[in-house]
Amino acid sequence: MNRPPEPSSAFHRTAAFALAAAFMLLPANLLPILHTEMAGDIRTDTIWTGIVELYSNGLWPLALIVFIASLVIPFLKLAGLGVLLLSAHRGVPRDRLYALTRLYAFLDVIGRWSMLDVFLVAILAGLVRFGAPAQVVPLPGIVAFAAAVALTILATRAFDPRILWASVPAESPSTETSG
Amino acid sequence: MNALPKPKVSRRPAIPLVWVVPLFALLIGAWMLINEYRNHGPEIVIDFEDGSGIAVGKTRLVHKGVAVGVVLGAKLKPDLSGVSVRLRLDRDAASLATEGAQFWVVQPEISFGAVRGLDTILTGARINVNPGRGAPARHFIGLERPPLPRGRDGSRSFILSGDRLGSINPGSPVFYREVKVGIVESSRLSDDSTAVLIRCRIEAPYVDLVRANTRFWNAGGFAFKVGLFGAELKNTSLESLVSGGIAFATPDTVPLAAPAPEDTRFELAREADKDWLAWKPKIPLHSPEQSARQPKAPALAPLLPSAGKPE
Repeated sequence: MNRPPEPSSAFHRTAAFALAAAFMLLPANLLPILHTEMAGDIRTDTIWTGIVELYSNGLWPLALIVFIASLVIPFLKLAGLGVLLLSAHRGVPRDRLYALTRLYAFLDVIGRWSMLDVFLVAILAGLVRFGAPAQVVPLPGIVAFAAAVALTILATRAFDPRILWASVPAESPSTETSG
Repeated sequence: MNALPKPKVSRRPAIPLVWVVPLFALLIGAWMLINEYRNHGPEIVIDFEDGSGIAVGKTRLVHKGVAVGVVLGAKLKPDLSGVSVRLRLDRDAASLATEGAQFWVVQPEISFGAVRGLDTILTGARINVNPGRGAPARHFIGLERPPLPRGRDGSRSFILSGDRLGSINPGSPVFYREVKVGIVESSRLSDDSTAVLIRCRIEAPYVDLVRANTRFWNAGGFAFKVGLFGAELKNTSLESLVSGGIAFATPDTVPLAAPAPEDTRFELAREADKDWLAWKPKIPLHSPEQSARQPKAPALAPLLPSAGKPE
């Protein structure tokens, strides 16, 4: 069932999805994601102003979680994918293969945790609908953010660690013939 | 012999199809950003004497019930004579900010005769605007209180001078036969301080009711008289009872006196003479809407079938 993947196809798909994710991350962080009206307190938040608001309200553990999940992880993932792609393109020294494969496994695991913000906005917008006194409206930024996170997950899935192994320069033929 | 089926040769495109995805992402992302910043209209500055209720990022500029701008900043003027409020308008509302535009802060107001802006108890203050007509402008002086409703074309102002103001305020109604036909615009002491001058505006369809010999009187409050022959309670309407008001009547001389021109000065009596209330001049009303849209029948004719018939 599983055909051996073509290394170049995996490479292109990962690179394309990662680039798309980077493009979506820009509006995701610049545009407002949430508009809330609670008892006359009207505000429109981007991801960053939301974190600052949480922090200034004394909820710094929550601010830290949102900061890591919504800001750090997406960029970290893109950077990690960039490292993997660059390594596969240039060729990997044999002794770094293990570390890179671990990096790939790590990226695969943390990916979905960035959906925290999307999840939060979806729940709030669905639950808080009282009209004038309290209202939560999702704004376009959250769509871009969800798209960016989904694209980084796709990019990680499209990546095939075997292209790392295939890129190892065949400098010591003796070890290959021994098998 | 069966020939082997022809091999299917798939020609890979030089660039894998998957690169369409980042292209789309780039287009959509750029569109979202451009869309956001295109909606931003001009920034304007309004000077108010008092900034209470104005909150940065929350107070909206509202026109015709729709939010069209938001306060970006509010700071004291260098000479401490007031506050400068900086607003950003939406793009489609840019034409509100033209010379002659009037801005004022709407806050909840509950008084005799008027309950206004109750929604602002919950939402906080908002800024309202009467759009101007001139060239685009960026700096405005805000009004301290809401302006009176603008008179429609064809309305006329008159000046009444009385010996005391009574309970008349700007916005108090002016009645003719207990029908509200206008409002009081402003009041002040005369230059020699011997009288009170009240400026009132009569709306367009009713301006012809005011003739050169029309008598005005103060219809506010009520009078309660107990005399030898019984008690008498006088008042005009509940509205004038709480907010004060002015009434007028025109003598039914034949022919009628000429219509009073703009800014004619009349005496304001303290109360009406009995015979003023009996005057019944026949004055045709010319409403601009009626003459333009409806050829003959007044709007009330279907409701009041006898209105048009001579008695």
